[in-house]
Amino acid sequence: MPKGLREIRNRIKSVKSTAQITRAMQLVASSKMKRAQDSAQGSRAYAELLGEILDTAVSKVSEFSHPLLTKRTVKTRGILLVTSDKGLCGPLNGNLIRQAAEIKDAVFVCVGRKGAQAIARSGRKLLADFVVSDRANFSEVRPAAEFLLKAFAEGTVDTVEILYPHFKNTLVQMPRLQQLLPANSLVAQARDLREKLGLPEAKIEADEREMIFEPSAAAILNELPSLFFKQAVHQAILEAKASEHSARMVAMKAATDNAKKLAGALSLEYNKARQAAITQEILEITAAASQN
Amino acid sequence: MSLTVEIVTPDRRAFQGAADSVNLPTAMGSIGILPGHLPITAIIAAGEITVTNAGKVSRLAVDQGFVRVVSNKVSVVTEAAIDEAKIDLKAIEQAEDRARKAVEAARTQKEIDPVEVAKIEQILRFAAVQRMVKGRSSSGLSE
Repeated sequence: MPKGLREIRNRIKSVKSTAQITRAMQLVASSKMKRAQDSAQGSRAYAELLGEILDTAVSKVSEFSHPLLTKRTVKTRGILLVTSDKGLCGPLNGNLIRQAAEIKDAVFVCVGRKGAQAIARSGRKLLADFVVSDRANFSEVRPAAEFLLKAFAEGTVDTVEILYPHFKNTLVQMPRLQQLLPANSLVAQARDLREKLGLPEAKIEADEREMIFEPSAAAILNELPSLFFKQAVHQAILEAKASEHSARMVAMKAATDNAKKLAGALSLEYNKARQAAITQEILEITAAASQN
Repeated sequence: MSLTVEIVTPDRRAFQGAADSVNLPTAMGSIGILPGHLPITAIIAAGEITVTNAGKVSRLAVDQGFVRVVSNKVSVVTEAAIDEAKIDLKAIEQAEDRARKAVEAARTQKEIDPVEVAKIEQILRFAAVQRMVKGRSSSGLSE
């Protein structure tokens, strides 16, 4: 067999096996995406109940101030950068990191290895790096949220903003920067949350008797901002996971398609070369025969 | 007339069902809820929630949170909850061991982050609650 033919055949083989791998990754990503979307739904009931408790308590307290709701002059912005741990998910992380690079006077807390690496490489200040698995349980997210609350309380950062890939749909994910602390008033926050999750306006079941608060409505309200904050962080990370998997799914689908196209082109080339070799051989034989 | 009870965490609905009575650990001490209870909103301390339904008792270990009782509906919002039947004592012991070691290391080493310590202490606290819940139910069976 001529040398060129074997080379083409080997290339076809390797391209085909690459296509198999990317196809497998695409399937894995699509099943993970489904799970991530389901778990984002799972936290709805929690958000709903928090909102209802807020509604019942807030009507009883006329004046309310809380350190997490108090605005102050911003010297250092705290950015929670949510990226993926692994690559091969298209422009997802690149877009986030590019946007992060444009933010000035900021310190970073990262969830996801890609973001942490980029921040460290660019020589910016990285306060902490948290690991959250694909399942993104609340218990995994909680340490990161507690850390940010503490940094905000101590004045290490004057704002807490979260930069994460917003899940628009399976094909489109956009980086989104959202300020979490200092937070809007609790009522506004509850309204936003409800809007985001598509929940109806909270209805408190009718009970004509007076609600008792233990220890007091103010004490209950005092606890709520940090819970809302943690919930928002959890929600954003769940969304980031869904974005990551759908971005990977799309990227891997494109890779599979490309590999298939390439394999098709290569086999055409292979067949042409093979045919040329055969023709050449016949010519040689007939030429030799006619000479005799 | 009976109560409906739901216990909700950020991850899932940990418990949902009817009950004759519920016992809740609040910040001000343990309270029992029976059908017809006054509407109440309270802060829950880490501890054990006991739900009694037709003589059947289920216990759940919960972390801090809130409870709201309105017209015979008991809604508990907490950051973590685990059913007594699902508590694995060995896993708790291992978690406690790890946490205790980390606390030790933290105390000897001054540079450690206080948030880390607080987080570990939280693990310890929740583990202790789980063990308490589990321990009581198994001794109850033997009696």
